[in-house]
Amino acid sequence: MTTDTIPIKKIKEINRDELVAPGTPLCAGCGGLEALRLAQKELGENVLFTNAAGCFTLLSVYPFTPFRGSWLYTSMSSPAAAAQGIRDALDVRMDKRGLDRSEDMQVMVIAGDGSTYDMGLSPTSAAIHRGLDFIYFCYDNEGYGNTGFQLSAASPLGSATQTAPPTRLHPSGTEAGKKDLFSIWAAHHPPYIATVSPREPLDLINKVRKAQALKGPRLFISLAPCPTGWGFDPRQMHLIAKLAVDTGIFPLKEYEGGTVVHTRVPRKRQPVETYLELQKRFRHLFVPEKREDIIAAIQKSVDDYWGPYE
Amino acid sequence: MLRIRFHGRGGQGIKTASQILGSAAFLSEFRAQDFPLYGAERRGAPIVASTRIDRKNVMERGAIYHPDLVLVGDESLIGDPVAAPLSGTDSSTLIFINSTHRPEDLRDHFKLFSLPVSADLTRLCELHLKRGNVLSTALAAAAARLTGLISLEALLQAVDMELGESGLGREIREKNQTLAGEVFNSMDGGTLVEKERTPEPAAAFLDMKQEEVSRAAPLVLTPGNMALRKTGNWRMERPEINYEDCNACWICFVRCPDGAMGIGTDGKPVIDYEHCKGCLICAEECPKHAIHFTREVSAWV
Repeated sequence: MTTDTIPIKKIKEINRDELVAPGTPLCAGCGGLEALRLAQKELGENVLFTNAAGCFTLLSVYPFTPFRGSWLYTSMSSPAAAAQGIRDALDVRMDKRGLDRSEDMQVMVIAGDGSTYDMGLSPTSAAIHRGLDFIYFCYDNEGYGNTGFQLSAASPLGSATQTAPPTRLHPSGTEAGKKDLFSIWAAHHPPYIATVSPREPLDLINKVRKAQALKGPRLFISLAPCPTGWGFDPRQMHLIAKLAVDTGIFPLKEYEGGTVVHTRVPRKRQPVETYLELQKRFRHLFVPEKREDIIAAIQKSVDDYWGPYE
Repeated sequence: MLRIRFHGRGGQGIKTASQILGSAAFLSEFRAQDFPLYGAERRGAPIVASTRIDRKNVMERGAIYHPDLVLVGDESLIGDPVAAPLSGTDSSTLIFINSTHRPEDLRDHFKLFSLPVSADLTRLCELHLKRGNVLSTALAAAAARLTGLISLEALLQAVDMELGESGLGREIREKNQTLAGEVFNSMDGGTLVEKERTPEPAAAFLDMKQEEVSRAAPLVLTPGNMALRKTGNWRMERPEINYEDCNACWICFVRCPDGAMGIGTDGKPVIDYEHCKGCLICAEECPKHAIHFTREVSAWV
């Protein structure tokens, strides 16, 4: 099954309303906030949020909210379970309590990679398996950013985190590769999965538009370049996001009807170094001496990924 | 014991300043304790870091409520009720403000008990480090000088130690040392007098009683009221649009994470200075280079 939605082609077609109000105490230059803001522009007002503990805890600080719709805060493990409860409550009220169908809302999970890749994966798996009608939006900054940037299952090979710093015995910092959550989700065969980037607003919005026309579990992973945790100047947020795509490190793709399609294929992939060298979390790969071995391992993992497609 | 409190914003190196001061005191044969206080880490948000210095072991713990010396890295914090950098100060507290204003003007504007010390550290950081918003070394140097207890030699060694520990290379450490020396030598030292204070009492336990649901789990009933919170004073640099060069492509509008770039009736972007956090993404991304930025010099003009 594929969907026929009309994609937007120009920046000026993007909704001018700010559905995530300014004033949130998130970091200046937050990539996750930018991605959420763009997604909301397409989703509109009728959204109920369940928010796992994480950086986005700060979105709503009592008595303030940036959203038009309600916001329910949950533990790191349970936003998908909370989404089920809200979905059920809406359905029951429409079926039995006379709530008009025009007042139905989308239920949307907002969760970071700590929740999504680690603690919340099992309830999310169950929710996808049950075919829960919801949208899942993961802002992936590749670490537990809200608590000082500790290692998560999304932290990439060779990156330094608070709990995986480079040491003499562990020169690469993080030694495992990033968990392939996209494939884990895809193994559940939901209607729609996509990766998105704040740097690609049209691609992001068109994917949200496509998802909105579908029912059932629709899942997003957005790269969320993090000035604080990754160590770069906030003004370079979009440059970092761009290089993540241009180097092939963060593939933009979607899963629909059993097939995966890449929506932005870098014409000539740039070497991963161009992405790594701008970030403090990879600095140990360049000083005091350049770690060609670790950089080569990162490059190889990217080459291996793209091999079948090029 | 000297109790010293540093106030600034996330990203300015406030925690590092307290560490450099602590190490410099230790190298000057004092006992020292340094620690930051913050909730969720975020750039631009108010941050406090503290250093206690004593000849004896420092047994006191917890936040410093009545400081002997307060260093404010960003004067726009003084009017911020959440940051409240001047809380617990009295006429005996020495206040240092990083500002372009004269001490007399700062005293009158902020209604201070006494004349503060001020210096434009941001300019010096810009000069030596090419980064006006990294104040760690400069603030620590100012604090070290104002305590009157720390030698320049100990300060320079502490700068090298602490910055080395956070992974900075030799060249940048040396630049920081030059900066530290310049700040240290440009100020009058030894103005701080150690006072006997009774130890600060531990906070009493609060007996939390069970509230009814409407109070314990309150609702927010005004959609989008986050806009009432102004994040404009997070800004260390101020973007400005040169409308003659602007071709209304809307890239800045699309790329602003905070939604602080609106579109005016003429189709050109308008910066919402009440909320702009100063990330400068707009200036970086503008294809016509029509957005430049200037330093936010002060809390008032």
